[in-house]
Amino acid sequence: MLSRNAEGLYWIGRYLERARHGCRLISDQLATMEDRPVEEIDQGWRRLYQAMHRTPLGGFLAAGDEDEEFMLADAYTMADDLTFEPGNPDSIRNCLATARENARQVRNILGVRMWSCLNLAYLDVRDVGIETIWNDQPDAFYLRTEDAIRTFTGIAVSSMYRDDGWHFLWLGWFVERTQLLAGLVDAHLAQYPTAAQHSESDWRALLRICEAHVAYRHLHSHSHRPGRMLDFLVADPLLAHSVRHALARVTEALDAVSSGRSLAVEAGRRAGRMASAIDHDWPNRDPDDDAATRAALQGVRNACLLLHEDIAATYFRYEIEDAP
Amino acid sequence: MKRDSTGRRPAADGSAPAEESHLFAGYETRPAYYDEMFEATGMPRVHCRELCDALDRMQPDEIAAMQALAERSFLHQGITFAVYGEEGAQERIIPIDFLPRLLDAADWEVVERGLRQRLEALNLFLADIYGPGRIIADGVVPVDLVRGCPQYRVAMRGLEVPHGVYVALCGTDIVRTHDGFVVLEDNLRVPSGVSYMLANRRALKTSLRNLFRRHHVRGIEHYGQLLRQTLAELAPPGVADPCIVLLTPGVYNSAFYEHMFLAREMGVELVQGSDLLVHNGFVYMRTTTGLRRVDVIYRRVDDDFIDPLAFRAESQLGTPGLFYAYRLGNVTIANAPGTGVADDKSVYAYVPDMIRYYLGEEPVLANVETHLCREPEGLAFTLDNLDTLVVKMVGESGGYGMLIGPHATPAERAAYAEQIRKDPANFISQPVLDLSVAPCLTADGASPRHVDLRPFVLRGSETRLVPGAFCRVALVEGSLVVNSSQGGGGKDLWVLSS
Repeated sequence: MLSRNAEGLYWIGRYLERARHGCRLISDQLATMEDRPVEEIDQGWRRLYQAMHRTPLGGFLAAGDEDEEFMLADAYTMADDLTFEPGNPDSIRNCLATARENARQVRNILGVRMWSCLNLAYLDVRDVGIETIWNDQPDAFYLRTEDAIRTFTGIAVSSMYRDDGWHFLWLGWFVERTQLLAGLVDAHLAQYPTAAQHSESDWRALLRICEAHVAYRHLHSHSHRPGRMLDFLVADPLLAHSVRHALARVTEALDAVSSGRSLAVEAGRRAGRMASAIDHDWPNRDPDDDAATRAALQGVRNACLLLHEDIAATYFRYEIEDAP
Repeated sequence: MKRDSTGRRPAADGSAPAEESHLFAGYETRPAYYDEMFEATGMPRVHCRELCDALDRMQPDEIAAMQALAERSFLHQGITFAVYGEEGAQERIIPIDFLPRLLDAADWEVVERGLRQRLEALNLFLADIYGPGRIIADGVVPVDLVRGCPQYRVAMRGLEVPHGVYVALCGTDIVRTHDGFVVLEDNLRVPSGVSYMLANRRALKTSLRNLFRRHHVRGIEHYGQLLRQTLAELAPPGVADPCIVLLTPGVYNSAFYEHMFLAREMGVELVQGSDLLVHNGFVYMRTTTGLRRVDVIYRRVDDDFIDPLAFRAESQLGTPGLFYAYRLGNVTIANAPGTGVADDKSVYAYVPDMIRYYLGEEPVLANVETHLCREPEGLAFTLDNLDTLVVKMVGESGGYGMLIGPHATPAERAAYAEQIRKDPANFISQPVLDLSVAPCLTADGASPRHVDLRPFVLRGSETRLVPGAFCRVALVEGSLVVNSSQGGGGKDLWVLSS
């Protein structure tokens, strides 16, 4: 497959997963505004911004600003910033626009239905603003956008030819998911000095964002065990939105596209090391030492950045001398 | 204008006039122009009768709704083009008119024969001017016209191309007048529009399924297959299973949709200049499994931009060294660099002479009478008759830089005359043609609009063309400009099998 096409598909995967994750975070945060105390809502926004490595344009609420009207105005501004702000490269609208730009480049291999689905999702987001969705039902907007992305993946699964293009789409998708999940759990832990200080609803919100609440309840009933929840989100290989599962998919995709080159081997090894660190080191960490847990999660994030460099240098932008 | 006593066109069977709500109820034939569907009496032409009756039974609203649906589907699928210099118009569709234009088998036979003849002569001309130059030595075409043409590529001299084919793909613009078919221009560089031909066909075939079936319309859907076969035949000698790619300037090019569409139809990679590299005289593309040798490049990039080392140095679109690999014969570029010299608007005037010179035949398709401003008589004639002529710049296309004398104001004509005097060789003039009209759907039902057609001819080891064309329509009443970039639309052309 042409390197530029592979790179285009890889970035489509990354940006769509980023947009989907953003929708999920924001819609859950807006839902908490219905019945949670102001302080908890404020914590939610902080976690969200930290997970996205961004600072709100007007800063966070200062202590004593916990006035309900102010909080609502603040939520409006922050949702706008994360969804439509032109200067925010990771805003949902920008993510969809970038995914679509990449899709335009590879339309000849994408198929009409996949393109149409992505194009329509983008046009829907392009044509509205925060005023429109706020006056209507903001939840419905995020749900609709997330569903459009899921439809795209559904069409991909049911129609794409399983060549390198397919593998690069999912490679991007799951490298992004690994990085986002590690960042989210890290941001969650950063809100309080120890994991135990979080409220139960805070943890449940995290499970919901990661679409893990039903599976967790099924496995562990309603028991509130922060350590167990953390293990579930990071290390459970069967949970679609766990770090470990995402890494397994990264390794799978890398194995499929690897062509025996030294750099290709390096990318595979790096992903393998990340997976084995979760399999072997994670259970042995001190569960009460949040600093160590956070360091492990940050290690995953950093390794993802390096993995991305390996992939780009091996498959997308290699020099003549490095060509096999 | 023949009309019945009520002022309306009679019904197809000659009976009482159709009701006002019917599509053709208010249609007025205009004797000055050849009408593709109706005779001067207002009766449908023989091959159009069935279509005319069927359409007349449909409500205009019903057809308009189908048309709107098709256009929305074009937008959603991204069947778009961009108009340069128009802000906010990055992606526009070419509006489709849902009333098909019909061409009977005899008419198509003339068009096809004429196109085959013309392309053969043009290829022989290019081989000659980049080779022995007989036509120049024999004084048929002036030397300065050829060598002084900006599209003439000195670097192509003495170079042999597979099967002697310089122009592998050609899109010739043809119009019809009362005197028959006339060639407006040959597009020999990077002709576009074939994807709209296929998209329009798909839309009509879906919406007017029964009507389409009843008419025994000849198929055009195999164009991609023919294109691939043609390109494969032009591969460098000794390459059995050539790797073909389509070279595009990228997503911001006005015809990007078409590039993408054709790559998909042919099943070849769509590459940009940066995807290719030249190593040891061969062209390769970067793939995820390493470098892969490229044998044939169907380029949709102008000559100037294909190789910064050979042509325009500041170009970012091309691949350094590509022309070197081409000269070595290790890769085929279609169309060959330098073909633009044969579709220059001044050289166009000599195409009938080329046909006589190389083939010893009379041209099947006529040329438009053309006055070259580079010649003193042509210049004087043009300046004296600006109000009745169409004046074009020789190197421009897409309807840019053109003056339609009768439609221009005296001030516009004066300003244009000034431009002509400054650089006469850059202009040609032609009489305003009475382009034929075909019924188009408008807010007032069907109305006549001017049309042309652009069939696409392929030349590999043999000449091939699908029986169809991108039929362009000047959607504005009275306008003669059909170019998409100037507000033109498209129609499906149905070539009937008998």
